[in-house]
Amino acid sequence: MRESKSECAAGNLQAVRHATFLLLAVLLSWSLQAHAIPAFNRQTGQNCVACHAGGQFPDLTPYGRIFKLTGYTIGEHALPLAAMAVASVNKTQKTSSPDPAFDERAGFPKDGNLIFQTASVFLAGRITNNLGAFVQVTYNNYDAQSPSDSHWVGHTSSDNLDLRYADRYFSPGSDFIFGATMNNNPTVQDPWNSVPAWGYNTVPGSSGPGTTPLIAGGLAQNVAGWGGYVFWNRTIYAELTGYRTANGVWSFMSQGFNTQRGDMQIVKGTNPYWRLALAHEWGPHSAMVGTYGMDARVFPDPTDPAGSTNHFRDAAIDAQYQYILDPHAVTVTATYIHEKVDYADSVAGQPHPLDPDGTLGLPLTNSSDTLRMFRAKATYAYHARFGGSLSYFDVSGTSNPALQTSAFDPANPGQLLEGSEGVTGNLAGNPGTRAWTAGAFWTPVQYARVGLEYTAFTRFNGASTNYDGFGRNARDNNTVFLYVWGAF
Amino acid sequence: MKNTILAAIVIAACAGCAAPERSRALNDPAIPPLALVQQVCSNCHGLDGNAPSSNFPRLAAQPPAYVVAQLKAFRSHGRSDPAGFEYMWGLSRHLSDAQIDGIAAYFAAQAPLPNPSHADAALVARGREIFDKGVAARELPPCASCHGDRGQGKDGFPRLAGQHADYVMKQLNVFYATEQRPEGAVMKVIAHKLEAADMPAVAAYVQSQAGS
Repeated sequence: MRESKSECAAGNLQAVRHATFLLLAVLLSWSLQAHAIPAFNRQTGQNCVACHAGGQFPDLTPYGRIFKLTGYTIGEHALPLAAMAVASVNKTQKTSSPDPAFDERAGFPKDGNLIFQTASVFLAGRITNNLGAFVQVTYNNYDAQSPSDSHWVGHTSSDNLDLRYADRYFSPGSDFIFGATMNNNPTVQDPWNSVPAWGYNTVPGSSGPGTTPLIAGGLAQNVAGWGGYVFWNRTIYAELTGYRTANGVWSFMSQGFNTQRGDMQIVKGTNPYWRLALAHEWGPHSAMVGTYGMDARVFPDPTDPAGSTNHFRDAAIDAQYQYILDPHAVTVTATYIHEKVDYADSVAGQPHPLDPDGTLGLPLTNSSDTLRMFRAKATYAYHARFGGSLSYFDVSGTSNPALQTSAFDPANPGQLLEGSEGVTGNLAGNPGTRAWTAGAFWTPVQYARVGLEYTAFTRFNGASTNYDGFGRNARDNNTVFLYVWGAF
Repeated sequence: MKNTILAAIVIAACAGCAAPERSRALNDPAIPPLALVQQVCSNCHGLDGNAPSSNFPRLAAQPPAYVVAQLKAFRSHGRSDPAGFEYMWGLSRHLSDAQIDGIAAYFAAQAPLPNPSHADAALVARGREIFDKGVAARELPPCASCHGDRGQGKDGFPRLAGQHADYVMKQLNVFYATEQRPEGAVMKVIAHKLEAADMPAVAAYVQSQAGS
């Protein structure tokens, strides 16, 4: 929500606007050309609706799930290249703060501006009868601002990657798919859309919770995982994958991420991820109930990966229901993740961030925390053209002084301590954040989607009112988000 | 570099050992029809042709001539209704005639299962009346005259018994309102003789038929 760097220069903004309009023009022209279709389309010759419910990527249909689990190998060899791009406008309800140190233009530098957010290139498709790939590389046009002149600097990095080997055996009464996956984001390999990698905030730039469990993207593109899975009679799915740091020879999965940039985490050894799901299809309906989780040890300081680690134990349940009968497509997903984290010695019991000397007597940081996240989403698409979605998330957990970026002075009741932050401040030291998102979209052609989303926060940083100590309320972060999302 | 070479060797090895009887390649005439049925067709139409989802037609016991004609019509883009071009144009585009014949023979040999529905009994009875006797006043011939007295189909006329009512409705509307299925032009005339209330009745009845 809040950007850490200073304002966007007007000249740069102009250039970005031009780039955006150019992008839209390119998108439109490409989308009108029959041959200009994404890689999997070219491979199978099918429309988006075959694999994506109501044509709305990334929600997968039952057939789309089989396509993925059989290693992206159905079809024929085709040019394995595709691209997607997103242009968007984000408007936050209130961008000012009584905090004298808060710079509105620095805090919300993109607010209200039409921007070319990100673009991705995909290398995807069938390699052999059993081997297939989904490799995404993303360019973020708003990665950081130059310290010298505050111009935005773009950055290209690895995005989701999933290489698979799969085979499928039939015998009387049995349909047995088994495979191996190599990927760089826990849950990205999953075929259902209730898991964190696929289900929520999938439009780049959309609003979501701030603090999330590790399994919900915390290790994305930082790790390299190898695992095996089975899917029996389209009913029972089981998977076990181990993740290690994507460095050394595996650094191709984490290109663009590094410890110096502060976006690369280092995990200790191999960390297990597990997944079990029970699926059923009847008539135009399909449903799944499942569980997944991860046990991961992460070094608190990625630049000095030594000593004790933060130990995350994430366990989740999830469910999905789908109704697909042309022209209607409904997908409903939900997941609940419970996380227990035991902190490393260098993190636990440390001085309060606003009382580094301990002179104020503020409490020390916790030695462990619990974080819970519930998310649910329902999407309806009509004729693969119009639709809407409603989603909800609720993050809650234990309060920890380490999260307290605003605090009252114990010696002067009602007086905020020096260093307290407006807007991003967290007075309660609690991660609790809750919001509803309602969205509508229009897919004029199958490769482009125009959408509008409104996110209403009812809780933010542990409170619904005055969460930062400067009087800011959760609803002040309500956001309108307009986007154009194209794949070609 | 070493890794690249190693990866290339592994990929080449995998390509070499891939079994055609479990291949999902759709442009290789060497892939046996059974492999295509199992690895691709079954995903939507069911391994036994009794498609569980009403979004996809049932193919069990379908006359082979009809399935062959449809697959060839998809392949040539002669059939262009949404269900056709969205799902089937791509899958059929490089199938060989022999593969198409094999796929049709496979589904023709499958045993059709009953397709229970909750359709209103009066609606089904009305559908049966039209199916068996037609409507003389509108010169609407009985469906049975081409599709068989039990809806079992014959040659180029598809089996309707046990077919999903939703699919039958969609296709009747395609015949009625479009030119997207020129091979079924005879049905355009029929569809125009059906009144609006007749279509769901006939569709409900054929789904309820056992066909044997």
